[in-house]
Amino acid sequence: MAVFDAEKVQGNILRGYPLDRVRHMILEVSDRRRAREFLAAAADGTGEEVPRITRSANWSERPEFCFNIGITFEGLRTLGLPSDQLKTFPTEYTEGMTRRALKLGDFGESAPEHWPAPFDRPDRIHIVASAYANADHHLDDIEKKVAKVFTVLGTRDGRNLPDGKVFFGYRDGISQPRLRHVFDPEHAGDHQIKDPLGTVLLGYQTQLEGIKFTIPTPEDVFRDSAFNAFRVLQQDTEAFETYLTDAAHFLESHRDVARLLPEGAEQNIGGGMSRHDALREVVAAQMCGRWRNGTPYEASPNSDVQDGISLTNYDYSLSSRCPAGSHMRRANPRGGPIVQRVANYTRRMVRRGMSYGPDPETGEHGLLGNFIGANYGAQFEAVMCDWINFGLQDPGITGTNDPLLGANVPETSRFDLTLKGGGHIRLSGFPRFVKTRGGAYTLLPSLPAIRYLSQLTA
Amino acid sequence: MSDDSGWLNSYINSLPERGWFQFLSKYVVVPFWVWREGRPKLPGGPRPSPQPSDNTQRMMNLLMPLKDTSPIGRAKAVMALAQNVDEIFAGLDNVGTVHSARFLLVEDYICMISVYDGDFSNYIRDFISTIGSVFDALMHEVEGGDKLYPSEENVEAFIDWVREHDLFQAPDYPFDLFGLQDEQAGRKPNDPPHDLQTLPRSLILQLHANRNISLGGGYRGYPGYSAAQIRRNLGVGW
Repeated sequence: MAVFDAEKVQGNILRGYPLDRVRHMILEVSDRRRAREFLAAAADGTGEEVPRITRSANWSERPEFCFNIGITFEGLRTLGLPSDQLKTFPTEYTEGMTRRALKLGDFGESAPEHWPAPFDRPDRIHIVASAYANADHHLDDIEKKVAKVFTVLGTRDGRNLPDGKVFFGYRDGISQPRLRHVFDPEHAGDHQIKDPLGTVLLGYQTQLEGIKFTIPTPEDVFRDSAFNAFRVLQQDTEAFETYLTDAAHFLESHRDVARLLPEGAEQNIGGGMSRHDALREVVAAQMCGRWRNGTPYEASPNSDVQDGISLTNYDYSLSSRCPAGSHMRRANPRGGPIVQRVANYTRRMVRRGMSYGPDPETGEHGLLGNFIGANYGAQFEAVMCDWINFGLQDPGITGTNDPLLGANVPETSRFDLTLKGGGHIRLSGFPRFVKTRGGAYTLLPSLPAIRYLSQLTA
Repeated sequence: MSDDSGWLNSYINSLPERGWFQFLSKYVVVPFWVWREGRPKLPGGPRPSPQPSDNTQRMMNLLMPLKDTSPIGRAKAVMALAQNVDEIFAGLDNVGTVHSARFLLVEDYICMISVYDGDFSNYIRDFISTIGSVFDALMHEVEGGDKLYPSEENVEAFIDWVREHDLFQAPDYPFDLFGLQDEQAGRKPNDPPHDLQTLPRSLILQLHANRNISLGGGYRGYPGYSAAQIRRNLGVGW
């Protein structure tokens, strides 16, 4: 097994940055010679006018900004990677996100045909460069430098919302795979199984027994790279909150409601609230798998008080109160019962996201997400097509989609709330709350790969 | 074809039955058509669908060409599977999404015929992760199989290979073939619309690219249920 060298790995893969703003720049390579020069300078920080690629190595001083790049298959081709090497990249990446739309649930309003510019022209998207900083002037400065070399097709700005929340009001980003060989104090208290490096980086053993994912040619160059699904996900918070209100009205007069939330328990939710508001929060908590403040529903079904409750250490069982159809449990079923018995813990991926918007004109807002792993098919796509949508992992939810993220339509959507002592109350009629508004499959090349691409001559 | 009873019309109507015309078609017309407007090979297996009911009980018709088609080569392939029957059944059981699977030796192929739920690549990947060694033994007897060895370290290539050798499933409604051909060639489906009369020609050209096909997606006696749902409802545990 190769020795892991953090200097070879881009910095946004193994850990998140302690920086609150991001600008994703969607770039076209219009002059490949100058693009290669840019990559050479970015890899080694040798140019005044080129930001240096941030590595994964620990830093002694917190940097003021970070800079990373992802390259699409079209990008590799445009930079001049020979076709016999292009052929060694995996099919999902070669086809690109738009041709995988059906598997990802990107149909109807989320279909790539409806994506706004620059995502309406996926053939022109060659590089997604990301700048991270706390101050906007750093982002502007980096964009200016980048724009001197590349055609900037568009940008997407993101920021961390207060208290680590997303627009739906949930605390996010709590659970991440913890990787062997990686110093990660932020997630040190998480007792879930540690993931091998092969979960995110090419060239290492994976969580799937015996399986190693193929490194594209040349192997010593592309080792330590990762694949990223960059997603622009619009969140319809208004529809979500409206639905919670409707659901609470429906539940208030339901004969089993006391088994959903005991009388009086509303005192322990959100610091004490009305029965109606508490029921709204129960629906939100069961749909997500966590209360909005992050407390796991599994560990605390009648209260969101965090006192002494671990945010990360719990597991699911056949009698779980956390619904099998909840978002968290679909995305990571942990050690709980699933149909694909060999797949527990094998489809985890690194998630990094920041919120965007609201747009001053349209009000559009949502999440700019990076879903990083060593293999699209085994992780991102597997989770999207079998677990988030369709629900193949549990016969009780098969044929239903994730209530928050899924490709739902009111005519067929349904979600079963669990009750104390078993049984459920079925909710239905909710729309799709998250719409896809853009994205791209990008390779997050290792530092040796960036240097290699910068030296291509074709 | 015309309804007129003139001699020319009746002669033209009889063309498909005439030997000289059949000869001409087979050795001149079809090869010329293929050269002029051949169709790209269509991918195997069920197509992705947003309909949940389309994602259960999906059919796999995997034709693996034997390296050695003599009785000795055939016996080797049979032995590779026979020695691992227990592992295969345990593996299929652990994958959890399989309704049925069976192996056939037909002409120059060893075939795996299977009914499964969900995405095919997840099924194959989980299967390899569980019992990859069984496939390895078999792949040595299969044409093109050596470069997939060991399957654990060539998962992506293995999955692509299976998709390549899984039979194309012709659409249940014949005229849907046009749209699939358009998409495969990178065009917008049915834009402009196709003349229905050209369907036989399109089919012939497609059968030149995909020699063996599945006629439609197959019949299901109980649509919309996964293997796990059936097991649960029968009370045998999932």
